[in-house]
Amino acid sequence: MKELWESGKIKIFLSVLLVLVMLTLFTRKVENNVLSTSVNTLTYGLSKVSAAAKDRNTDGMSYDELKDEYDAAVDANRELRARLVDYYDVKEENARLWKFYELKKEHKDYQFVPATALRRDSNDEFYSFTIDKGTASDITTGDPVMGENGLIGYISEADVNTAKVVTILSPQSGIGAIDKASKDTGIITGSAKFADDNQTMFAKLKSEHKVKEGDIITTTGVSGIYPKNLIIGEVKDIGYDTYDTSYYAIVEPYEDIRKITDVAVITDFEGEGEILKRTSE
Amino acid sequence: MSEKTTSFFRYLAYAMEIILLYVLGTTPNLLPEIFGAKPTLLLCVALTAAIFEREIPAMVIGMICGILTDLGYSNGIGLFTISLTVICFIVGYAANNLVVAKFTTFLLYAFIAVGGIFMLYFLVHIVWAGVDDCWGYFQRHLLSRMVQTYVLSIPIYFLNRFIYRTLGNEIN
Repeated sequence: MKELWESGKIKIFLSVLLVLVMLTLFTRKVENNVLSTSVNTLTYGLSKVSAAAKDRNTDGMSYDELKDEYDAAVDANRELRARLVDYYDVKEENARLWKFYELKKEHKDYQFVPATALRRDSNDEFYSFTIDKGTASDITTGDPVMGENGLIGYISEADVNTAKVVTILSPQSGIGAIDKASKDTGIITGSAKFADDNQTMFAKLKSEHKVKEGDIITTTGVSGIYPKNLIIGEVKDIGYDTYDTSYYAIVEPYEDIRKITDVAVITDFEGEGEILKRTSE
Repeated sequence: MSEKTTSFFRYLAYAMEIILLYVLGTTPNLLPEIFGAKPTLLLCVALTAAIFEREIPAMVIGMICGILTDLGYSNGIGLFTISLTVICFIVGYAANNLVVAKFTTFLLYAFIAVGGIFMLYFLVHIVWAGVDDCWGYFQRHLLSRMVQTYVLSIPIYFLNRFIYRTLGNEIN
């Protein structure tokens, strides 16, 4: 042990530890820091390839079936090589865009950026994920993120090529919401109790609320952070929080947020940030 | 092959292992969730590599695995980076100077290290962060993740032992 203290190794160790502690403090305070941006940039290509590879569904196929499919694909490729250039990319992009076409028709003021989930970390218990678009595509922190059937969450961090999405299953989210049937208002915030079942909470309801099972919950849009009337989900149950003595509803999104891969980020919409601007004035 | 060449290929093997397990761990919907959790694969790599390496290489491997684990979770480094750096340095030193680095020693050390790191994670990220239903989270997620990580560290131990015996100086 004495040798260790006298050797240079302990000095190297302590120096590295000091640097790491400083980096920890630095990266906690600074959003989009050099370290995370560098690692995200370095792993971007890798994640893109692995996510794309996973998208190819080979579940339940035998070796022979896969081989037949492969042989057929090779033949087809030989015949159609000239015409198939970029076909799959375009087809995939087209399919992704179609999902959001109806929404765009309904809300002409929305500016969408379609994106794909690059990675989900096993440590995140609230199903946050990283998408393959970042500030280069005009995505900024706070932008709402949509799925085909409703709100998924918001952008919590964005660097040049990637952005992190905090889902509505997370307690970090605090979204003003309204029950379209009863007009009761509350806040959408996740809970560890319900996140596993793809459910979130419509909290802070008044004691005389009229929320009932089956009601549809949407955004209020009053803060100017989220557009009005974005569908969040459907009420599954009503509960009572003994800590803050208020009622809450358990809301199940129409999308399985735990597994979603294709999303669209709303980078701009009519009324965005108006309240904030007025408040700051 | 000279010692430098074998060392180079050994570190290259570790690097490829880290990249492969990082991809496996972060690709959406690839690994199945068992009881609501997936294993933290890079933790297995760091803990198993440390027992075969000397202090400084063990520390560097621990640090890299920690940084990748932390950055997958948030935009900064933190608990995993620091704890793995410290543990791997200590284990690297102990395995070369204080204890005999064999499988039974590894099982005991991995049990303590995995349990310790995840309990620290639970305290810092769940209890202190004020996440509701802490105990429920522990039962539904963390326990399963701890067990999976511990169990998976066994095959990775043998993989890294194979790498070390093929491309390094045998210490077992």
